[in-house]
Amino acid sequence: MSWLVHELRLIARSRLCVAALLILGLLATVALVSGAREVSRQRETLTHLAPLHESDVAAVKQKRSKDGDAGYAAYYTFYDTFDPPSAAAFVALGLRDVAPLALRIRALGLQAQLYEGESFNPELALTGRFDFAFVLIYLAPLFIIALLHDLVSGERQSGRLRLLMAMPGAATRLWVRRAGLRLGLVLACLCMPLGLAMGVMGSGGLALAGALGVVLAYVAFWGGLCLLIAACRWSSTTQATALMSGWVLLTLVLPTLANLAITKRIPVSQGVELMLKQRQNVHAAWDEPREATMQRFFRSHPEWQGTAALPVEFHWKWYYAFQQLGDESVAAEVAAYRTGLLARQRWTERLGWLLPGVAAQALLHRLADTDLPAQLAYQRRIEAFHGDIRAFYYPYVFNERTFGTEDFARRPKYVAAERPPQLAWPQLLPLAGWALGVLGLGAWALRRSRED
Amino acid sequence: MSTVFRIAQEEWRLLRRRRVAMLGLLLLTVLSLSAALTAWQQRQAVAADRARYQAQVNQEFDAQPDRHPHRMVHYGTFVFRPLNALAAFDAGIDAYTGHTLFLEGHRQNSANFGDVRQSSLLLRFGQLTPALVLQLLAPLLLVFIGHGVVAGERESGTLRLLLTQGVGPGQFLLGKLLALSGVAALLLLPAALALLALSLSAKAPPLAAAALLAAYAAWLLLWVMIVVGVSAVLKRRRDALLGLLALWTVLLVLLPRLAADAATTARALPTRFETDIDVARDLTAMGDSHNPDDPYFAGFRRQVLAQYGVSKLEDLPVNYKGLLGIEGERMTSELFDRYADASFERQQAQSRWMDAFGLLSPVLALRRLSMTVAGADLDSYRRFLVQGERYRYTLIQSLNRLQAVQIGYAEDRNPNRQARIAHSHWHDQPDFIYEPRPLGQTLRSAAPAAGVLVAWLVAIMAALMLAAGRRLGRVGR
Repeated sequence: MSWLVHELRLIARSRLCVAALLILGLLATVALVSGAREVSRQRETLTHLAPLHESDVAAVKQKRSKDGDAGYAAYYTFYDTFDPPSAAAFVALGLRDVAPLALRIRALGLQAQLYEGESFNPELALTGRFDFAFVLIYLAPLFIIALLHDLVSGERQSGRLRLLMAMPGAATRLWVRRAGLRLGLVLACLCMPLGLAMGVMGSGGLALAGALGVVLAYVAFWGGLCLLIAACRWSSTTQATALMSGWVLLTLVLPTLANLAITKRIPVSQGVELMLKQRQNVHAAWDEPREATMQRFFRSHPEWQGTAALPVEFHWKWYYAFQQLGDESVAAEVAAYRTGLLARQRWTERLGWLLPGVAAQALLHRLADTDLPAQLAYQRRIEAFHGDIRAFYYPYVFNERTFGTEDFARRPKYVAAERPPQLAWPQLLPLAGWALGVLGLGAWALRRSRED
Repeated sequence: MSTVFRIAQEEWRLLRRRRVAMLGLLLLTVLSLSAALTAWQQRQAVAADRARYQAQVNQEFDAQPDRHPHRMVHYGTFVFRPLNALAAFDAGIDAYTGHTLFLEGHRQNSANFGDVRQSSLLLRFGQLTPALVLQLLAPLLLVFIGHGVVAGERESGTLRLLLTQGVGPGQFLLGKLLALSGVAALLLLPAALALLALSLSAKAPPLAAAALLAAYAAWLLLWVMIVVGVSAVLKRRRDALLGLLALWTVLLVLLPRLAADAATTARALPTRFETDIDVARDLTAMGDSHNPDDPYFAGFRRQVLAQYGVSKLEDLPVNYKGLLGIEGERMTSELFDRYADASFERQQAQSRWMDAFGLLSPVLALRRLSMTVAGADLDSYRRFLVQGERYRYTLIQSLNRLQAVQIGYAEDRNPNRQARIAHSHWHDQPDFIYEPRPLGQTLRSAAPAAGVLVAWLVAIMAALMLAAGRRLGRVGR
């Protein structure tokens, strides 16, 4: 073990090494703290919104329970839905800075309410958040490059290489140990704060194991790439240039090119189109015979067929019937819109098979449940809850039952999803494959470089 | 002067022989050109889509049948945010904002369907535009190509030779600066062509394009000086390279994110959820138009009766329900505007926080300038929302007036019949036309960022003269 003490002493003596490791550890810690602060701010916002919403409903209740008309109650009562951050969300904040944390809906057409946005500063969103995912995907490779690019050339430039080569096997052993130790220290700088933070935040074993696995594989990939370049008989500046170009290509150029291609190949204009069509269909109801609308409604909802016929004057059941028909008339567009969004996600995941940075990003955000699928899951949950709201009011509206104060208390309540963390194996395996492959290739190249 | 030029020429000659450097230069040029082309195509496609939707919506509005005007208040309309021509150069915040705004009575909706919520997280890696290439990649290439311009000569001993042969340290530095500036000019060329094409197509104002070109030229010049300076101050090529790469990472990758994080925490925004509830609460506090005993609306009724000199609502020459609609809309809109303004003030305070970080990282100043001139900044977005809201208000009030004038009070109160007016009235409503920020105002709002950029140039130049000049002077002695 004396080599370990020796290597550690060497590292301690190199200002560059010590500074790099300390800064990396510090950045990881700052990112985790900042992420945790953001998540707790989101939780606080949610707890702050709940009583606000209750008081809003109480005001409606006070105003609307006198006449006992369920139609008015349904029209004016909002329902709160919310999407609390998962216990691992602080690791990768993802889309949570641009998507609504909570959404209020009511019994009217859902498709006109579902896509409502949040107010946020787009200039800040453009820059992106400083979370652990950013430190890992963008910054960690740079530190690994700084620590490993001149593994061999550094010795050559200091004139010790010849001496090392004279001893059989010594050089390879030295490179492997030295690279292993440095990568180990990089891993420690990332994993220790990460493990500690995820423990404190109660992210759970699977999320922790998954996140550590992603860190390990990603660091190993970059370590392997550095060894591969280090084994080339280039000057240290050429090696640094090559590695840095690789970083730019893998984390800046190729992902942006791929994004361009995906956006172009998979258009998602169905979102706007369904919104236009839904509005058109809903408002057309005012100009067509009301009985015809009701017959169309009964076709898909025969359970209300037997209720009393429409009176001459306005009746809420006609109103809610055409609102629902409006939603149903764009069901195909809604499905196509979602399919398009999921196709974009799927192609991004496939891209992860080629680009480890994209894979690490997708994996971490899936674990944190802050990606596009998480947003869609929240929308689907809102949709289901909207069904509950309709189901709650319809018996009052269609059977013309009085809607009193006690009925307000019976209204459905949104329950936030308990989504367990998901480790996307189909993406972790290629990432691990890349890591092992490139690491093996790097070690092989190092051994070969000794022979000639 | 000829010495300076000879030094630069020599550097260029060496550069032409470095295959890796030439390959990098070529690749970046290709990337830059394809970025310009694809960004332009993308912009055209997006702009065409939005124009098509806008035309469709306008046509559908005009084609609505005879109706009660209040039905049209709820039917509302959509407006789509048009794209500035220079968005093909710098897309700025376009992907991060909604572009589809539904305008209806009684409500102020958010602009929806922004790309950011319709894309996977891949979008967060950035968007390939000429601006991105020049902001991030061009400085990096300058670092790769130029880190050895002085340090390399020092390492090989040629620096001492040159300086003892009578080349002044200033001349030497100028030569190197000229050499790297030539490279920078080459990097700028594709972007300049793109800007030229954009202004020749008569879509982008030439002055704005020229301002962008000047800003990016200054930006690259800044990096030329940084590279030459660091290369002169640090002894070895390796140290110069590592130092420059660290600087690039800190200034261009790390600091902007830290700045955004700091700005978010410094000024948290209220959620729409909260704002909606606040508006509803304030509205209830102001009055309830459906309640006959409500003090505010009782007062309003008295005032209307007095104004027309009648004693009963039935005797009014206009429909009181229409007047009530106008008054209600006025009250809600005032509230919406107040809350929207407060939210935007906060967002702008956040952005000012970011701008303050421009003193630490010049890329933030450059980005501010670039986004502003390209019309893809927060302020342009706000203009769209404000104009959309103004259009909404005018449209809704015009429909309310139609109700007041065209429909009798008694007829309007009869629950058994829907009064309707002719559909030609819908056609009479003017269409939404977005007015971009005037060029003069754009340039004025970009001026502070330009000032920061110039300050950086001056500071780096001074540092270069002082530190590098002194160091080279020492070598020569």
